[in-house]
Amino acid sequence: MTGEGPIYVYGVVSSGADVAPPTSGVADAATRLVESNGLAAVVSTVPGDRLRVRRRDLMAHLHALEEVSAQTTVLPFRFGTVLPSEADVERELLQARAEELHELLERFADAVQVNVKATYDETEVVRELVSSNPEIARARERAKKLGDAGYYENIRVGELVAGGLAARRAADAERLQGSLAALASDVAADPVDDGGLLVMKTSFLVDRSGLEGFDAELEAVAAREAPVIRFESFGPLPPAAFVSLGQES
Amino acid sequence: MAVATRGNDYLQRAPSPSGLADVIDVILDKGLVIDAYVRVSVIGIEVLTIDARIVIASVDTYLRFAEAVNRLDLTQTETAGLAELRDGGGGEKAKGAIEGAKEKLTPGGGKDKQKEKSR
Repeated sequence: MTGEGPIYVYGVVSSGADVAPPTSGVADAATRLVESNGLAAVVSTVPGDRLRVRRRDLMAHLHALEEVSAQTTVLPFRFGTVLPSEADVERELLQARAEELHELLERFADAVQVNVKATYDETEVVRELVSSNPEIARARERAKKLGDAGYYENIRVGELVAGGLAARRAADAERLQGSLAALASDVAADPVDDGGLLVMKTSFLVDRSGLEGFDAELEAVAAREAPVIRFESFGPLPPAAFVSLGQES
Repeated sequence: MAVATRGNDYLQRAPSPSGLADVIDVILDKGLVIDAYVRVSVIGIEVLTIDARIVIASVDTYLRFAEAVNRLDLTQTETAGLAELRDGGGGEKAKGAIEGAKEKLTPGGGKDKQKEKSR
């Protein structure tokens, strides 16, 4: 079954794993496995030669990976990885990179990713900042007296709050990350913009057998930090933030 | 204040992200890459870039924080203006930004771009 047209690649698994291909893929295409060198690439044919990316395509990529990840260790590819043909998938990927891919499969066996996002509760953190910095309350009073003309003074109030957040963010992020990192084998932190309420956005690499322990620690951390910091976690996900292949230069 | 401290309110867990921004975080620029060119040029796939990420202009953020400061003691300073501010709280603005990003990812999302230009 050599598909017509370019091939979209979701991930690579060990071909011994006997994986059922995901129920559907990007652009609603049927997914299948392409095998070579003891490896199997999870792929689908891209209909036409141009793919207009939609929101559901992003979801489809992630869901396909999750379906495979529930069955075996999968090395996830970045969204939008497309090779010209099935022969290229075999040659350029499964044969040319066989050694590296086998190594990665071994290294990431049973490792999953948990993403944790921590965000300041606006009301609670602003309350803390106002009580620790009297300048904020003063600027606010000035803004109120000015009424409609207080636009810039209002911005000043916001600036003071943003400055206060920036001053505590690094320490907060380090504390949270430190507690959770103790239960992870690797950590990858996304850059955090200084202007908003985000405290940290970090991926943790956790062994499947350690998921419960990680979860318990996350619960403890969240209980400790409430009500000023809120947490969201996603996972187990395929370890996309941690895998990488050497680049040919 | 009416805000109760509910234990699980501070930790939300899901097996998989459903919000667009969170999905983008997981798979858009993370994961294996074979060669840098593969994604971009082989078939002209319209790769989403940093544009799709949510950026809230800093002035908007400052004004939102100022509103949050105002909300703190609403009970003592009941004025019409403040009530208005409370209704247009920060959460909604953030949601708007996410919708905007979503539009960019779907056909005919040009409307959002125009809005940005006119700023």
